[in-house]
Amino acid sequence: MPSNDHSFKRYDQELEEIRTRVLQMGGLVELQIHDAIKALSEFDLIEMERVDKNDHRINADEVEIDQTCALIIARRQPTAVDLRMLMGISKIVTDLERCGDKAALIARKGKVIFAEGKMRIPCLADIREAGEMAVGLLRTALNAFARQDAVAAAAIVRDDLEIDRKFQGITRQLITFIMEDPRMISISFEVMFIAKAVERIGDHAKNIAEQIIYITRGTDVRHVAFDQLEREAQGADEIE
Amino acid sequence: MNSFWAEIFFVIAVSIVAGLTSWFFFSAFWAIVVVVLVLSLFTAHHFYQLTRLMRWLRQPVGTPLPKGGGAWEDVFAELHRRSREAAEERNSMKTALERFRHAGQALPDGVVILDSNQVIEWFNTTAEHHFGLSRDKDVGSRITNLLREPTFVSYIGAGQYADPLLLHPVRESGRTLALQIVSYGDAQSLLLSRDITQLEKLETMRRDFVANVSHELKTPLTVVSGFIETLLDDLSDLSEEEAKHFLGLAHEQAQRMQRLIMDLLMLSALETGSPPPTEERVALDDLLAEVTDEAMTLSKGRHQIVPTGTNGAGLLGSRNELRSALGNLVTNAIRYTPAGGTIRISWQTDDDGSGVFSVSDNGIGIENHHLPRLTERFYRVDRGRSRESGGTGLGLAIVKHVLTRHQAVLKIQSELSHGSTFSAQFPAHRVTHGAISKTS
Repeated sequence: MPSNDHSFKRYDQELEEIRTRVLQMGGLVELQIHDAIKALSEFDLIEMERVDKNDHRINADEVEIDQTCALIIARRQPTAVDLRMLMGISKIVTDLERCGDKAALIARKGKVIFAEGKMRIPCLADIREAGEMAVGLLRTALNAFARQDAVAAAAIVRDDLEIDRKFQGITRQLITFIMEDPRMISISFEVMFIAKAVERIGDHAKNIAEQIIYITRGTDVRHVAFDQLEREAQGADEIE
Repeated sequence: MNSFWAEIFFVIAVSIVAGLTSWFFFSAFWAIVVVVLVLSLFTAHHFYQLTRLMRWLRQPVGTPLPKGGGAWEDVFAELHRRSREAAEERNSMKTALERFRHAGQALPDGVVILDSNQVIEWFNTTAEHHFGLSRDKDVGSRITNLLREPTFVSYIGAGQYADPLLLHPVRESGRTLALQIVSYGDAQSLLLSRDITQLEKLETMRRDFVANVSHELKTPLTVVSGFIETLLDDLSDLSEEEAKHFLGLAHEQAQRMQRLIMDLLMLSALETGSPPPTEERVALDDLLAEVTDEAMTLSKGRHQIVPTGTNGAGLLGSRNELRSALGNLVTNAIRYTPAGGTIRISWQTDDDGSGVFSVSDNGIGIENHHLPRLTERFYRVDRGRSRESGGTGLGLAIVKHVLTRHQAVLKIQSELSHGSTFSAQFPAHRVTHGAISKTS
């Protein structure tokens, strides 16, 4: 692992630098999602505005990190784990940027709901819970990336199913709401978008986790059964 | 040194004697052969010892030394002494280091040691909890890889560590950490973290308290000054009746302010005063009678008030404080019970010597989720109702203070629209029994 080598050479230093940049971008995304969910549950319009405005920083981060990745590949022609790391980072930042978009979307939808003068959001407690789970997943994914921990990454893939279940529950509740009171249709739609955004954040965390397994183990675990994925994540431990 | 020369002389002497003897008996050739043989034997002996020494050196530290012969005996002994000394020194260093580690672990604040690249070198258990670090995985990682909050990243990047950073970690909502970085030694730094969640909560409470007091004083004052203004402007236009009405209302508000200030003074006296005496006996009969009288006056016959006997029991403590606390409980019951309700005031002594004073009503009751916050200053279940009935919002805060000073506990049971029971449980050492003559 490059991070364990204290006497950085120039190249190692560049790799470590870009890893740190990714993690800092991740930190910003974590905070954005956390703040968006918090603003939604505390009816804090100013905070929502701030989250929406902050999104451009994440977008800029994505572009910058991607360019740096291309530059290192062109200049150093890395192989093996270093190449996988750069390829993986390039995909991880895309997922992080999408997560950032979702945070901004939650804030925007929140603003719409309050603009309509509704002070009660259906399923708010469930959405907050799912949102906290999603932030938790993203945090675990970034920690796994910082520690290059494939086993922790594999656990994320399983936990994402929990958020998906929660999303289905919210959908069912919203349908009941709409059936009971047609006046709730428009607000229910906004809430639906928010719930979907939270669910997507979970999916992006899962994608990041898969990239971490690819980086550390060298096996592509996208679209494979969970059992096999877990085996890949753990199995290689014995080889090392 | 002596043994060195002795050995040299011994070798020379033995070779000369052996050489001369063989020359004498055989010939010069055999003499040389014998001398060479003797010298070779000595050399072989030394090589053998040297090999043993080498073999010992390759063994791990702590292997016992082989026994040497002749001058080697000294060499081995000296080496043995040195290795023992080194081992002892190492052990004492290890203990000292261990002690430092333990001291670091025992610190109530989180400590992370960072090198010049902000890479984690060591951290204690508190830091592990504060930042969610993992002992086996995170030593050797950059701190910003794991503590990713943008405010922290820019704080550590800016290099200005004079002021601490207040961090609300995403990991744990509601927690507040105060972080400070201290540079030391060779571009190394210490990251210190302290959990100030409680402190912040206290600060918020203090701010709220000041805001509440100002608000509570401002409202009646506005009313009073409004009336005065009206009277000043059109005193001549007002009939005597109207003027009296206005003055009456102003008087009511002024009294309300006075009550509030009395309560505030009482609270501050309770907070700063000396602990209540333990030898002054307060007769409960008197106290209960006084409190019941007060209740009757306030109720004006709208409620049925049922006091029970005390069997001559008494309390040890401050009469004034107890009178105020128990009085507050009873007046509260009157205020929150609609006309026609029943209020029971009772005293009960338990077998273990402790006693319970309780006031139950069949009034409006309190929802359960309000109960834990009820004794907070200015906490109100229903703002409007409380003020119109003349409450200051400090009554239960005073009760709780007084009871705490007497080591008693306030228990509240309540059911919405069925009524509430407030009971003060006094410990045995504050309760006296039997018909001792009244001394108060």
